Amino acid sequence: MNEGHHAFSFFRVAAITGATLRGLARLKTFYVLLLFALLLIGNSIFMAQMTFQQEFQVLKDIALGAMSVFSSLLAVLATARLLPQDIDDRTASTILAKPVSRFEYLAGKLLGALLLLAISLAAMSALFFLVLTVREQWVLRETVRQMSAAPPDQLSEALRLVRASALNPNLLAGIAIIYVKACLLASLTLFVSTFATTSIFTMIVMAFVYFIGHLQAVAREFWLQTHSAGWISQTFLGLVALFFPDLQLFTLTDDVVAGNAIPMTVLAQIVTLGLFYTGFYLLLAWSVFFRKEL
Amino acid sequence: MTEPAVLLSNVTKIFPVPFQRRPVVALRDLDLEVAAGQIYGLLGPNGSGKSTTLKIILGLVTPTRGKAQVFGRDSDRVASHESVGYLPESPDFYKYLTGEETLRFYGKLCSLRGARLKNRVGELLALVGLTSAAGRRLSGYSKGMLQRIGLAQALIQEPALLILDEPTAGVDPAGTREIRDLILDLKGRGITVLLSSHLLGQVQEICDRVGILANGVLVREGSLSDLLGVENQTQIILENASPALINKIGDLAGGSRARLVKCGPPQTSLEGLFLEATQAPGGKGGSKPS
Repeated sequence: MNEGHHAFSFFRVAAITGATLRGLARLKTFYVLLLFALLLIGNSIFMAQMTFQQEFQVLKDIALGAMSVFSSLLAVLATARLLPQDIDDRTASTILAKPVSRFEYLAGKLLGALLLLAISLAAMSALFFLVLTVREQWVLRETVRQMSAAPPDQLSEALRLVRASALNPNLLAGIAIIYVKACLLASLTLFVSTFATTSIFTMIVMAFVYFIGHLQAVAREFWLQTHSAGWISQTFLGLVALFFPDLQLFTLTDDVVAGNAIPMTVLAQIVTLGLFYTGFYLLLAWSVFFRKEL
Repeated sequence: MTEPAVLLSNVTKIFPVPFQRRPVVALRDLDLEVAAGQIYGLLGPNGSGKSTTLKIILGLVTPTRGKAQVFGRDSDRVASHESVGYLPESPDFYKYLTGEETLRFYGKLCSLRGARLKNRVGELLALVGLTSAAGRRLSGYSKGMLQRIGLAQALIQEPALLILDEPTAGVDPAGTREIRDLILDLKGRGITVLLSSHLLGQVQEICDRVGILANGVLVREGSLSDLLGVENQTQIILENASPALINKIGDLAGGSRARLVKCGPPQTSLEGLFLEATQAPGGKGGSKPS
């Protein structure tokens, strides 16, 4: 037997995270990545007729959009089955019969899903940067060839413009926002799955939450403009805002595509908000799962 | 006085049923004590409350009323799980892990690591006879092998109490016998075993004490000899007895207040007959069942 039980152990959480990640990596989720890769490659061939600014903008738009959609989908699909499957198979019972707290179990499961999302997003980003770099190099070579007779300062200005339209640090900020949004959705899905009767129910609930999350800010503004803001409506709106995150905040990637820089303070605020909600939903999940009969 | 391995005091479990006024009473005022070092069998038909009892002891289900303790510690405390190993009925572990990885995973959950974990995994694989299948994924394991790896994971942290829910469910007679021998071996090592089963023959063979649950109530409890012995009857088993001898015994009994109730060859269990027939060379069985 072991000496002294610790209420929380990263070692135990890491063991559950590792097993969860291995299980998820065997799912067909990586086909999503393949689809994404094909989309990008096909897209770059299609855009050969455009100007380089258009080409890079559309490439970023499609790539970041696809990353956002696929990572959100992956977050929900991968997390929705985690708990029901373990409970159905009685694996949860064998794990929780060991000196493992229910919080450690949930944290390990969620971290496994978040790690999968990180790996998927890293792979998609790597492919995206590769395609963008290849296209950028091609455009640079073409520019040099076409402007071989132009004065050097004109040529260097043209090359600077090409480089500025292609890879830039703002893309990393956009990818970070996409990841934080996916983390939030995964955590929320885990929470829903603690009381949902089936995975399908979890996915349906998440589809509603997704739309409410995107529409709630607009609806709130509209409500406050057309109704007097009494304490009841303010409390109600506050509760809605607390339980349903404003997903519209995470659409800042549109600015990245448009070439606008995201201020560091705004990026920090969004990341903090996303991580707050991720932790908040994990605690909510634990509060339901704590007394769940297995 | 030694602390009992399991102590349930006045435990009641009521499961509410959605959209129905009447809830399901799974256990009613259950008092149960399992002494350390025993093999205790919990019997009962399906739905009698056996699994619920075990889950309450494991802290997986919270009793509506009453108290459950394992070696003096409340069973809903995670720390109490350090001394308990559990094998659920028909477990399905992570199929993508190999037998060795499965044991390493459960070992890590018990904070084992390094050489200690490696040695323990090796020991247990040998104990359950799965050393040669250690590198194979569980998806390729038979039902009996899954039960054995399940038993090994239950033992990974060297628990003082082993809880087995229908340990031989779905396992063939040869596998059943192996598991039975393993349980007896564990008892020899000082491990308390609490098992639930509806296979009476199996329980009779290995348990020191049994409790019988029916509709959530403990209707019988005691040592096997106490429960099974018929006090006013005596069994005489003779080999090669002639009809004349049997008649004589009958006459002797008739001359007293005793009565010869039954006379005939003793019966073996069906399991014994099956094993004899299937394991003897040529599958025909050379000798009479014992």
